[in-house]
Amino acid sequence: MKPDNVNKRPAENLIALEIHSVSKTFHSDSGRKVQALEGVNLLVRQGEFITLVGATGCGKTTLLNLVAGLDTPDDGYLRVGNNLRFGDNVAYVFQHYTLFPWRSALGNVAFGLQMRGVPRKQRKSRASDLLARVGLSGFENAYPYELSGGMRQRAAIAQALAIQPKLLLMDEPFGAVDDSTRSELQQMLTELWQDHLPTILFVTHNIDEAIVLGGRVLVLSERPGKIEHEFKIDLPRPRNRMTKEFTNLFIKIRQLLSVQLD
Amino acid sequence: MHKEEPKNRNSRNWSKLLGWTAVPITLLLIWQIAAKHLNQPWIFPPVTSVIEQLAHPLREHYASGSLLSNTLISLLRVLMGFSLAAAAGVTLGLFIGSIRIVRDIIEPIIEVLRPLCPIAWLPFAIAVFKLKTLPQLVGVRYSNTIFDQIQLGMIFVIFVGGFFPIVTNTLDGVAGVRRNYLLLAQTLGATRRQIFLHVYLPAAMPMIITGLRQGLGLCWFVIIAAEMMTGSDSGIGYLLMYASDNSAMDIVIAAMLIIGVIGALLNFTMSRIMLNFVSWQGKEV
Repeated sequence: MKPDNVNKRPAENLIALEIHSVSKTFHSDSGRKVQALEGVNLLVRQGEFITLVGATGCGKTTLLNLVAGLDTPDDGYLRVGNNLRFGDNVAYVFQHYTLFPWRSALGNVAFGLQMRGVPRKQRKSRASDLLARVGLSGFENAYPYELSGGMRQRAAIAQALAIQPKLLLMDEPFGAVDDSTRSELQQMLTELWQDHLPTILFVTHNIDEAIVLGGRVLVLSERPGKIEHEFKIDLPRPRNRMTKEFTNLFIKIRQLLSVQLD
Repeated sequence: MHKEEPKNRNSRNWSKLLGWTAVPITLLLIWQIAAKHLNQPWIFPPVTSVIEQLAHPLREHYASGSLLSNTLISLLRVLMGFSLAAAAGVTLGLFIGSIRIVRDIIEPIIEVLRPLCPIAWLPFAIAVFKLKTLPQLVGVRYSNTIFDQIQLGMIFVIFVGGFFPIVTNTLDGVAGVRRNYLLLAQTLGATRRQIFLHVYLPAAMPMIITGLRQGLGLCWFVIIAAEMMTGSDSGIGYLLMYASDNSAMDIVIAAMLIIGVIGALLNFTMSRIMLNFVSWQGKEV
């Protein structure tokens, strides 16, 4: 399995994201150089659900930040689809501080709409629809500190969906919630993706999560991060963790990652 | 252990009640007895004569006005000086705090001027503004209203007193905004102006209100001190000085009580605003 699928390049207008030999090096305060990414190549078609899995500190977040335009690569280039515009239809869901603490759940979900000048009444009704969609009806007026970790991530996803993203970047969004909540959130996200079909780039260090969610799982090597392996997951959704294919995949990826650790 | 707790809270309520009733009453009683015993009201007046003064807030004390009129003058001065300080301090703090380069350039001068006691500005303020009043600023010599007592020099000194805590707290609040919130707003499509209004401002709000609270307290300190200086001819601080010069210690103590109560009320109001307005403070997740 080659990490690059440039060979079977789809029609240009269907490409959501093209990353071409991108490298990024950081300089620590003590003057040490840390190469986060080296020669990363990736082609993402519109509507794909990509999960990126790798050990902590392998440059996954750096890659997302580059895609989001929050940082620039030292080498190589990134190109997003013609229909993608930052601050318009590219949304980013973080692991922490995903919501504005001074806004209610409703206010948080409505934020993007408010910035676009959508009238108050309209954005309120759209935001409460979205909150209902992520299972947070009745929590419209709750502040983030009044919500549980799982509820906060639900609200954060609703907040991102409010701007009707064509590309959704997610940086370990379920990293801080307990296992059963995590499964619920994964299922919800799968359903949302099936309904709206945005392109999703989902970063996680949880192998199970990567297989449950992704249409393709990309395994990143440790520092410098590059795409070491790619697995196409054809298992039907919602995915059953108890199947042989699932566990085989899990073991393969597990082995890849533990080789890195040695 | 379980039953202990409500009992504990109960005793807390009792001690609070004692603090607000029995302790002050005892002190007042001791004061009354001691003053009667001493019998030198020009130094140590009895409680009753202070209460008598407080019960007649409209009584004119020669040319210096009444307790009430002078209190109102002081409050009006503070209100105006503080409003100016709040407007300037919050605006400048937001601006300075959100732009790193501006912060680097401006902060040293703030740090030098901040520790300077606002009262030290008074001679300078009087020299610059003479004894010009607010109506005179717009060309009216005497308006025959309370505004004739609003000297620009006084306003300036109150402004200085309130400005520094407000600007430094706002600045710190803005500079301490989590980068994540800025990124989040950016990805959700906020423009620079919107980020200022919808991220920097609300995120810094707890610090801004803390600054306003400190600033208002300091303004009230400063005005009393300024009014006690020579050259002043009105305000509760002035009345206090005037009464002292005339050995009317009952008025002095009445004025002190008024100053203390108003200071406490201002502080209480600001902390209530803080509680209601930024309930999320310290609960970031």
